[in-house]
Formats: sequence, structure tokens, C-alpha cells
Amino acid sequence: MSRRALAAAVALIAALAVPVGAYLKLGTDVNGRTLTLQWRDFPVRYFVTNADAALVSAPQLQAAVGRGFATWHAVETARTSSEFVGFVQSRPFVQDGASVIGFLNRPDQDRTLAATTFTVDTTDGRIVESDIYFNTFFPWSTAEGGNTDRFDVESIAVHEIGHLLGLSHSALGETELQGSGRRVIAAESVMFPISFSRGNIADRSLKDDDIAGISDIYGTTDFERETGSISGRVTKNGRGVKGAHVVAFHQASGRLVGGFTLNDNGDYVIAGLLPGPHILRAEPLDDGDVNSFFDDDFAVDLDFQVKFHERVVAVPRGGGTRGIEIRVNPK
Amino acid sequence: MRRRGLAIAAAVALLTLPAVAGAQARLGKGSVEVSGGITYIGGYSFDERTAEQTANSGSTGAPFDFFTTDSEIKPVVGYRVRLGYFFSPSLSIEGGLRFAKPVYEVRITDDFENAPDSTAEEDLSQYLFDGSLVYHFGSGSRAAPFVYGGAGYLRELHEGETLVEEGVEYHAGGGIKVWLGSGRFAIRGDVGVSFRDGGFDLDDKSRVVPEAGASLVWVF
Repeated sequence: MSRRALAAAVALIAALAVPVGAYLKLGTDVNGRTLTLQWRDFPVRYFVTNADAALVSAPQLQAAVGRGFATWHAVETARTSSEFVGFVQSRPFVQDGASVIGFLNRPDQDRTLAATTFTVDTTDGRIVESDIYFNTFFPWSTAEGGNTDRFDVESIAVHEIGHLLGLSHSALGETELQGSGRRVIAAESVMFPISFSRGNIADRSLKDDDIAGISDIYGTTDFERETGSISGRVTKNGRGVKGAHVVAFHQASGRLVGGFTLNDNGDYVIAGLLPGPHILRAEPLDDGDVNSFFDDDFAVDLDFQVKFHERVVAVPRGGGTRGIEIRVNPK
Repeated sequence: MRRRGLAIAAAVALLTLPAVAGAQARLGKGSVEVSGGITYIGGYSFDERTAEQTANSGSTGAPFDFFTTDSEIKPVVGYRVRLGYFFSPSLSIEGGLRFAKPVYEVRITDDFENAPDSTAEEDLSQYLFDGSLVYHFGSGSRAAPFVYGGAGYLRELHEGETLVEEGVEYHAGGGIKVWLGSGRFAIRGDVGVSFRDGGFDLDDKSRVVPEAGASLVWVF
């Protein structure tokens, strides 16, 4: 799974991981069951490699990463926390029982801005270690207002920390083909797999889709009590559509939250929705490489037209609206 | 359109009745009035809403229009029942329930990926429990104009009836009762405005809804 920009990408490398729900969450197979990948013990303790990149020192990296963690911890409807333990000489992507974040020079990964790995306890889906690297093949900046020639460390850190906490990619974004890659036109999720352009710092702030996702994994009782869900199927000629992207738009607040159909039956669930009427929109997963979202053996159906559901769907507080079938048409 | 036609037909019938009826009301202190009929409730629109993403421009982006929605509650004809008590031949207090099932309609346009413009709908269940003071002019005559004003509790259920929205309502208006036969029965017609705050409301602001009604009245 990779996050690609025109000439760069942010990648999530997650062996053992399979998608298990909306936004997406990450999961792992345990004895035939799919468990959500998550931390069981907080705070998440992490180290930062004591190595600099051009224009960004290790302490500046640590400060930006700290702000990135704080952004996720500030979500009121989710319980997460972290602790910076100290600087170390060890590099990320070494399975050593410690979560290490740092710079690595990976010219071979010339479409990968940064990446996250996990070590998972395969008996219960618990994350025991997660490393993040920032690829010094690309120019980085921690300038407060961004640097138009460089990628913003804090923005990319927020994305990667989302992975570290158990979120996969969101498809809430629009792209256009440019050369051999894709350029983001717009996105409404930090977890969109393709980064904004150099100098853009918009991803320092979480979007509603990100907040719904992290709250779905680590939600407080308030989250469960105050939000609701929509579930149902996306079908084409009576058969389930696999890999469709479904977006719920809460008219009163403007919130957009997305989810996916994850099986041959075309079933989807979108949780973390505010109470009230929603507009549902189903679209093919064509704004990024399919393998940015799913494993290669996940057969995604791209042959259908964008469709709005013909009913407004009301979401109850603390409950769910089920059985919402969106019938799409072939292209 | 068909429902609106019914309301207009009822109003026309009321206007023609005074010419053929010749009864007088038997109203006095302690009289009780029961009525039931239909009510027309006007529609209202909400502000246009655009689903926005963050554009990949500048340092912090700008709003990017994903698609646009334009919403309204459609006019509807519902039902009402009322119970009144007369303090005097002119003054009464009444309470009642108005029930209607208006349609919430959303027109979706300007999709970035050229999805066809479409319409999504939802059926609402609207309950209005209210109380009013009513003053009658020329009580004792066969056609008695009246004015009324009061307040109510608005309870609206979305489709599926799992989500309830509550609000308050204030109303004022006027009408006429035309007494029939022995004077124990009348036909009532009225028009008014309903000021609503809360309930299902995208814009979080009060709104004014026109109303009209026609009822059969029984006094004892």
C-alpha cells in the first residue's frame, strides 16, 4: 500500500494487514478471524533516530512528530496517547521491539515519501512495535508556514501516525493523471494515499473522515453514544459490488465520511456519523492505485458510474440505519 | 399538487356555506368544542449546501466543490384534531394535535465527477401538540369570525423513526365558523402562520410556515 504523489509517495507497509472496515481500518487474520489492528497499551512509547536530513535536524523532526501525535490525541472522541522516550542511534524498520521514527535515505523508493511498518502479536491483533521512516530522497521542511520547495514533515507525520495507530488509507480525494503518476486535486482526509504538493501544510489538521476513523478504533463512550452508522450494500444488476467507495455527507455540518464495500456481497459500514440526514454517494475506486487501499488479490470492481442514493438516510444517535442498498449502473 | 388542490377545494366550500346555512351557535360558558379536519402546511427551503474538500492549492488549500445540495420541505396536507373549552361565548381555549408527513427533498447537482443531477427524498412524520386562545366575534350569529394565537411542541421523526427532532412553535391566525342545523355543528376554516424554532432544521434558524385548515366542529 503506498501513498503516491506526482513524483513521490507516502507508503504504508503492513505485512499481515488486511482491511476490516470503513476509512479503512487495518486488520490481521487471527485463527480465521479478522481483528482490528490496534494498540492495547497507552501511551505509545516511541524513539526518534538521532540523524538529520537537509534543513531538518533530528530535534526538529522530533518536534514535528510530537505535534503530529498531539493532533491525533486531541480528538475528543478517541482515547490515544504517546510518549517520546528519547533519541537513539537505531534506525526505523528494524524489528527490535522499539517503535522508532527517523530519516532514512531510500533512493530505491523514489515514489515513497514515508512509510510505516508494524510488528503485530498474531494471537490478538495487538500492535507491539511500529516504525516510521521519512525518505531523505525527498526534500523536507519544518517551516511554520511550509516551504514551497519541500514537503512538510508535520503533515506527513500526521498521515503516518494515523497508520501507526491502525488506520489504513481513505479514498476521500480527487486526482488527475499527470505523467506517470497522479496529482491530487483535492482531498478531505489526511489518510488519503497521495500527498498534497510541496509547501502545502493542510494535512497538519485532521478532517472529519480521520476523526471518525480513529474514533471507531479507540472511541470513547461519548463517541458511541453520540454518533451512529449507516450500513448496507452496493449492488449492480442485483449483485454485490466489491471495493466501491461510499461517502456519507451530513448536510447540517458539511462533514464527509467515507467507507468501502469489503466483500463480494457489496456490504459496507460507515460509522462515526453525526445524527441527522445524510446524502450517500457511491463511486468506483479510481482516484488512486487500488493497491493503495487493498491487497493485490482483492478484486475491486471499477465498472460502474458514480451514483447518489435516491433516499436521504437519517442516522440515529447511538444507533445504526441498516439495509441501505445503493444500486449502481455499469459504465 | 393534488393535495394542494384538495385544500383549495375545501376553502372554496367554506366560503359558499354561509349562504345556505341558517343556524346559530349554542355557545356559552362551559361549552366544549371538538373538531377534526385537514390542515395545509406550507413548505420551506434551506440554504444551499456544498460538500467541500480541501483543494491542493497554496499552503493550506481552499474549498473545493465536490457536489451541491439544495433542500426543501415540501408543502403537505395533514390532519388535525382539537378540543376547546369556552370561558364565555366569545373566548375559548383549545388544544390539539396536528399530524402530517411532509417530504424532505434534496436536489443534488454539480458533481465534480459528472454524476447525473438527482433528487433524494425522505418522508418525515411531523407531530405538533399545541394550545391556543381563541376569540370569536359576533358569537351567536351563524357565521362567527375568530382569531387565535398560541404555542406548541413540535416533534419530527425522520424516516425509520429512529431519529427525533424537537422544537417549539408559535402560531397566530384567523378564520370563520359557520354553524349548521341545530347549532351544535359547524364547519371551520382558518388561515394563519406558524413560527417554528427547532425540529428538523438544517440552518438552525426559526422559520415562518403558512397554514390553512378546514374542520368539522361539534359543540356540547
